[in-house]
Amino acid sequence: MPEYKGLKMPAKASVEDMRRIHIEPVPDDQKVEKAIQYLDEMRKKFRSFVLAMESCVKCGLCAENCHTYLGTRDPNNIPTNRAELIRKIYRRYFTLEGRWFGKLVGAEDLNLDIIEQWYSYFYQCNECRRCAHVCPFGIDTCEVTMIGRQILHWLGIVPKLHADVGAAMERTGNHTGLTKPAIVDTLEFLSEEIKDEFGVDVEFPVDKEGADIMYVPSSADFLLNPYTLMGAGMFFTYIGANWTIPSTITEAGNFGLLFDQQHTMRHNFTRLLHAAQKLGVKKIVWGECGHGWRAWKMYLPGMADLPIRWPITHIHDEVAYYIRTNQLKLDPNKIGRPVTLHDPCNYVRACGMAETLRTVIRACVADFREMYPNKENNFCCGGGSAILFDDPEMYQLRIKFSQKKAEQVRATGVGRDGNGILCAPCSICKAQLYPMVEEHQLGVEVKGLIDLVGMALVWK
Amino acid sequence: MTYFIAQILPYITVTVFIIGVIYRLWRWAASRIVHNITLSPFPQTKTEVAAIYLREIVLFNNVFKFDRPLWVGAWPMHIALLNVIGGHVVGFYFLGKQFVYLGASEALSTYLSNLLGTVFGIILLAGLLYLLYRRIAIDKVRQVSNPSDYLMLLLLISIVSLGNFMRLVPEYGMHYEPVREYFTTLILFQPAAIPEGNPFFILHLLLAQILIMILPFSKLMHLFGMFGMRWIENRIYKEPAPGLPNVDVAAARARGTGLSSVSGSDVA
Repeated sequence: MPEYKGLKMPAKASVEDMRRIHIEPVPDDQKVEKAIQYLDEMRKKFRSFVLAMESCVKCGLCAENCHTYLGTRDPNNIPTNRAELIRKIYRRYFTLEGRWFGKLVGAEDLNLDIIEQWYSYFYQCNECRRCAHVCPFGIDTCEVTMIGRQILHWLGIVPKLHADVGAAMERTGNHTGLTKPAIVDTLEFLSEEIKDEFGVDVEFPVDKEGADIMYVPSSADFLLNPYTLMGAGMFFTYIGANWTIPSTITEAGNFGLLFDQQHTMRHNFTRLLHAAQKLGVKKIVWGECGHGWRAWKMYLPGMADLPIRWPITHIHDEVAYYIRTNQLKLDPNKIGRPVTLHDPCNYVRACGMAETLRTVIRACVADFREMYPNKENNFCCGGGSAILFDDPEMYQLRIKFSQKKAEQVRATGVGRDGNGILCAPCSICKAQLYPMVEEHQLGVEVKGLIDLVGMALVWK
Repeated sequence: MTYFIAQILPYITVTVFIIGVIYRLWRWAASRIVHNITLSPFPQTKTEVAAIYLREIVLFNNVFKFDRPLWVGAWPMHIALLNVIGGHVVGFYFLGKQFVYLGASEALSTYLSNLLGTVFGIILLAGLLYLLYRRIAIDKVRQVSNPSDYLMLLLLISIVSLGNFMRLVPEYGMHYEPVREYFTTLILFQPAAIPEGNPFFILHLLLAQILIMILPFSKLMHLFGMFGMRWIENRIYKEPAPGLPNVDVAAARARGTGLSSVSGSDVA
């Protein structure tokens, strides 16, 4: 846990870690100059960023609508103040009023302390976009966070967690560093589990050339969320699909979105398109992963270097389609426990999936209870943008960030008897909520949405 | 000094305003929409997109939904401001007789013009004072404020106070006719001196011009910025069609795929 003038910050990647993701860290005496240069490049490129810099009126509406501020009451966690960390530099170097009037209009020279502040506060932002959703003008502080993180990345300042994931992705095609033999082994094990628990035969074809459908799961599903992968396998088997999992990209996530939207993100996109071409598939179906789905759905079309010949859909949308057309037989009474749904921010605010989630969950469980606020007004789980740091002080922050979520879950009453289910259909939400439901003693078990589909399927 | 404020400065003001706004809009337009960052709610038709713009601009829907105490000050303030600005243009041009075109008598029209001006002037001032109070008294708003945020409010409050003062204290008031005369000469590039040497009017005129000159270099550009932001975020996004290739669920279920009697997976 690095300490810098009382700022809370996650462990940084070492020089070696940075070199593995192709970045040569900028020496301290050049950081300020380089940061200004990168900021200049960014502001000339991104209109969403320029507008966030130039049209905020500081009404303060976003404060009470950001769960990080609600949890910590740290003024720098008010979205507009988080943006102000860059805005004051932007004003100083790139606006007339900032150059002429300085402090009066809130303009400030850049120095190393401010760069460290960027690191601390841009990695306390969950990029959930609730501030953009509530802002009267739609100013998207997530865009500011993303550009702050991009500049930090180019300076060589990235959390170790993110840098390691980036390196693992490049090496193995997934975040957890699983090799093909490990993938095949795990999937065989999952087949046996399904046989034991549900009494059905499900095979997970890996790298099957000529398959119609390529399913890209989150790599966390192999280790942490096996029921999600089992649910997907059961769904594809149930509908008789000719499907496969590509061993070269067993990762629905894309950390490029979170710390490097240039090289890292594009590299992952290319990997996907290569895999799809090699296997000759007709359609790509995406696994449960919030930020990943946003990246692949919204960012891929603008960033791919190759023509995209495959429609890409999310498994939730596909399941919802087969439910709406009455082709799936699901028994909601199989799961007798009360269930509430956490709307992952990237699904509902960035990808418009709120109704899809409800179509699926209502068909799978009998006792479904909404939490409030929900759908696109929902609060983040506190783990968004993978700030899932284990350093003791950062872990304490994660507990605070999830406070609002805990209040929401408690209010639904699903955990009253200690047997509730909190459905969180996103790998990062799950990784955050597994420990957080214990910390807040919510009496619920965290599950994915496809987990519930697998459990509710009626085979005969 | 009065000569400068009344006969030279207006031309500088208008030049700075127009060039400034064009400069800022050009800066925005020069950058691009790099990624698709469509944001909830996901409208499916152009009508729905227009509805989002309208309810935000006309009703301040988000402010109403997510920060009611702010709305109570901000919405009336903006509506009053719009009417006050409109009133300045229409009232002076028609000399307060604009409502004649809506069927009112001349006397009634002048009375209405005065009444509306007074009412909106007071609402505007009250709204601004409320927003200033809010900025000072509420922790989270004070924490996000720069000195310029207060100065901007104080400038607006000064302009509006002077306007209200002239309206409410008849001996310092201005009549419509000489003001219209004055603006006509300005527009014809033959600026005449202000006929009644009313110091309140001159100060009002000076501060208003300062505000207009500051606008392009301040947060007041939010007037245009909100359109820019919504243009990026509130757009139609069509989902790719669901439904998987070569899948026949009924046939698969008839075969009993997955059940122990048949082989584990489908044979392609």
